[in-house]
Amino acid sequence: MSDSVVKAGVFLLVLLGAFLWIGKAITDLTGGEKTASAVVEVSPEGGEAVYWGKGRCFTCHSMGDRGSAVRGPNHGQFGERFPLAMGERAVERAKARSAKTGKEFTAVDYLVESLSDPGVYVVTGYKNEMAVTYAPPISLNLDEIKAVVSYLQIQGGDLDMVAIDTEPSDITKGFYDKIGAAQAAGGGDPGKGAEVFADNCSDCHMLNGEGGEVGPKLTGIAAKGLKHIDESIRRPAAKVVAGFEYHEVVRKDGRKFAGLKTRDEADEIDITKADGDVVTIAKAEIKEIVLDKTKTVMPSDLIEALTVKDFQDVLSFLMLQKAPPAAQQAEKEK
Amino acid sequence: MIHRLGPKGKVGLALVAGLAVLLVAGPALALEGNEYRQFLGLDSRKLIWFLAQMHLFFAAFVLGVPLFAVIIEIVGWKNGDQRFDKLAYEFTSLLSVAYATTAAFGGLLAFALFTLYPTFMGYMAGVFKDVMFVYALLFFAETFLLYMYYYGWKWLSGTRPFGLALRRILQATGAVIIVIGLLFLVGVIGPDMRGDTRAFIALLYVLPTGIGLMIMRDRKSSHIMIGILLNVAGTAIMQAANSWAGFMMSPAGVAADGAITGSLWQAFENVLATPIAIHRMLGNLAFGGLVAGSYAAVRFIAAKTAEDKAHYDWMGYIANFVAIIALIPLPFAGYYLGREVYSTSAIMGNNMMGGDFSWTFIIQAMLVGSLFLISNYYLWSGMTRIPGSERYYKYIKFILGAIVISFAIWLTPHNLPLTGGEVGEMGGSQYHPTLKFLGLMPAKNAVINLIILSTFFSFLLYRRSNKSEVVPISQQGRWPKIVIPLAGLAAIFIVGQYAVNLLTMDPASLDLPADRAQYFRTVGWLLVFECAVGVVAVALALRDMGKLAQGLYMAVTAFNVVIFLGVYGFVVMEQASPFLRNVAVAQFLQLISCLILVTAIDMYLFRGAKEIGPLQWGKMTVRSQFALLALTFIITMNMGLMGFIRSGLRGDWHIFGVMRDTSAWAYTPSNFTMTQMVGLAVLMFMVGVAFMFWLGGIAGGNKEEGGAD
Repeated sequence: MSDSVVKAGVFLLVLLGAFLWIGKAITDLTGGEKTASAVVEVSPEGGEAVYWGKGRCFTCHSMGDRGSAVRGPNHGQFGERFPLAMGERAVERAKARSAKTGKEFTAVDYLVESLSDPGVYVVTGYKNEMAVTYAPPISLNLDEIKAVVSYLQIQGGDLDMVAIDTEPSDITKGFYDKIGAAQAAGGGDPGKGAEVFADNCSDCHMLNGEGGEVGPKLTGIAAKGLKHIDESIRRPAAKVVAGFEYHEVVRKDGRKFAGLKTRDEADEIDITKADGDVVTIAKAEIKEIVLDKTKTVMPSDLIEALTVKDFQDVLSFLMLQKAPPAAQQAEKEK
Repeated sequence: MIHRLGPKGKVGLALVAGLAVLLVAGPALALEGNEYRQFLGLDSRKLIWFLAQMHLFFAAFVLGVPLFAVIIEIVGWKNGDQRFDKLAYEFTSLLSVAYATTAAFGGLLAFALFTLYPTFMGYMAGVFKDVMFVYALLFFAETFLLYMYYYGWKWLSGTRPFGLALRRILQATGAVIIVIGLLFLVGVIGPDMRGDTRAFIALLYVLPTGIGLMIMRDRKSSHIMIGILLNVAGTAIMQAANSWAGFMMSPAGVAADGAITGSLWQAFENVLATPIAIHRMLGNLAFGGLVAGSYAAVRFIAAKTAEDKAHYDWMGYIANFVAIIALIPLPFAGYYLGREVYSTSAIMGNNMMGGDFSWTFIIQAMLVGSLFLISNYYLWSGMTRIPGSERYYKYIKFILGAIVISFAIWLTPHNLPLTGGEVGEMGGSQYHPTLKFLGLMPAKNAVINLIILSTFFSFLLYRRSNKSEVVPISQQGRWPKIVIPLAGLAAIFIVGQYAVNLLTMDPASLDLPADRAQYFRTVGWLLVFECAVGVVAVALALRDMGKLAQGLYMAVTAFNVVIFLGVYGFVVMEQASPFLRNVAVAQFLQLISCLILVTAIDMYLFRGAKEIGPLQWGKMTVRSQFALLALTFIITMNMGLMGFIRSGLRGDWHIFGVMRDTSAWAYTPSNFTMTQMVGLAVLMFMVGVAFMFWLGGIAGGNKEEGGAD
């Protein structure tokens, strides 16, 4: 027995030796051991560190012959499909974006847009699946994003640090604001947040002229701040907007109706229930109307239906809802 | 007596320790600064990694072995074959020391986690406090049931029936529980639960308990019932722990700042909890089988008598058979887990297959490929003990060729690790003009399916090695006429529903232009063709042309899955890349349907056929036993490697999106570090296993000398 155990042990050591050798060889080939990410400066070198490290850009993109990912476009000059490296490509794309949007895009504007809102321009043959880099789990901060933009721009292009960092154009500044707002909201993904909003909120809340009217309009809600929005979702009854108080009507026959009092005439009232149904009740039939400040029509358990990510996403989406110009808004809501 | 009391004492100590740390853990929110501590200046992450890995290895063993021990006991009980009963007992005897060691490592891990990662564990205890208490109580149940099961083996071996009234009560109770289980399974009860969680609980807890009660009619069947309850308790413990692991990857019921906003059940039933549990369940079964198989292999190598060799050869065969049964669906459970990881976070999913872990998956491919290759070798070696198998030796070289070539393709990376000079010689590209295609997913999907089909073919040859002529199905009564069409229906349903899906799929759902619909339709019609061949195969089998039916269905499946879709995958990749994952699903579903229908036909093809000669147990080469050992070592390494990937997917988050890892160890370790850590854990585990087997041998020797249990 002991002899056979020794043989088995030696055999195990041989296999483990091979296992270790493979691990060592692969680690040597792929650049060695990593360390925890450090603070980076806004520079191409910093951007390179983010691109191949914390930003995980290499998961989907390659840079010429460096890297092996093919899920997203190659950022270097590579084969017939990518005759221009990203810096030069950005100049061409900026022209296309200018023609499409009517705004004067620069190469920096295009690069910042591709990181801020990657779904706007999707390269033919690729899916609209790029991650939001300033949302969890990547959660790049604004400086790290600027650094990546600078790294991409030096790939065949002329570096413009002024446009990237110190004096951004209005287009770039708009994107930076968006990133900042999303980060302030816990770093959610506003694109996904729009879907969460459509699935969970828009039946009751109107946003930019679309949606239900059971709850308050949310156009321009960002102005009320993150804390207000956060609290309103988690504890909707804590602070109810005027006009949206919860009323419970008890008829003389004992039947009860609860919801918003959306019409109050001399002889009848309308109660709009949480599902949007409107019940008209003659005042003569009413035994009592109770204004309950501890309740709201908005479901108090909505937060339970959302995942952490859903919550972050919808918060970041709502934090982007700045009030549009009055005329534009009036036109939408017509 | 010492070896009986020692484990209980350790288990008790571990439980008390676990409860003690729970009692002092207060809820803490994620936004509080994370605190990290060290013990003797050691790297806390590596220490936790090692302890968790050791705990998981032992836990997988003690959860896996009772699963198949009970199955083997049931086989012996139903067939009246005492050999199976003794084998089940022998497997169970391996558990007593392993169980205590598992608990000891669990206690050590809990202490290490609470002392080295106090903020993180304080938060986890705040969310899962109730589940942790249930977990600890389940430990008591499992301990009690395990000792009842092991030490009550002889006491509960009688077959004298219970009184009629008692049997009726047990049957009625069992029937009620089965009905409840079925209602639960289809969602009449618990409709708000996740479907996979409901199915997991219904299939693994409720229905087995009901069936166990239904079959209880004497002492022996009561012993089986204890075994079933032992597995229920063990699986529940695993599920509870998996909910924590799943929560760390896909938290639910809490807000981004860590505040608990939902119910405990939401946190427990997070997206990844059940997919991980399913994967671990199958993995534990395969792992338990192979570790027990390695025990048989070592005993075989050491055996001096023909009788001992025959016994341990048979034991190794059964253990390996159980492991293979669990191994075959394991890639599919892995696919499901992977899909859910993608659904949780595309970033986590992309990082898994194309980021930090892409090379780790290459190592995993080496290990899994080796598992299949060595499993085939063991089957071929096993054929040497079967008179009549010589007729099939000629096929082995072709199977070997198919597996080796497939293996080589599977291992080929897309971009080659080359020096600068070599890159220059290849025209400045790291992509070899031909080999680069072998590194892409269409090629890999094709060859992994071919490897599984080849292994299945080996298994079919093994099964029919000592059978002379097929027995006409028309002469076998009504069962094959029911079972084969049912299997055909299942196969056609599996493939057909996906064909309908593809034929009606809107390209916009994959962000593709409308003209790309042709690629969906082509694959859809291919699946319709597969369904039609399934119908023909069933008809042929029922008309006593079972071999032709098997050959036809396997050949068409191999053509569709490996050749057609293998090549067409490249077209899809070029023209409609997002659709490629649907092609992989189409390949997988055809393969599954093939395994189901061909196995169903095979069950009856040689049923009752004349045997050329009896199996010569013990007539195996020593090399084949080293193959069994290699399987055990490799699956153990693979478990460690996959654990590294699963845990590492969170990146620098303790709890994904909720609590960041702000320690100095917040980075993904290299593959070399992984092989070092996993290698160390494997070595220590195997040393522990050898020690346990040695102790088991001493205990067995004492019993034999004493002549009594």
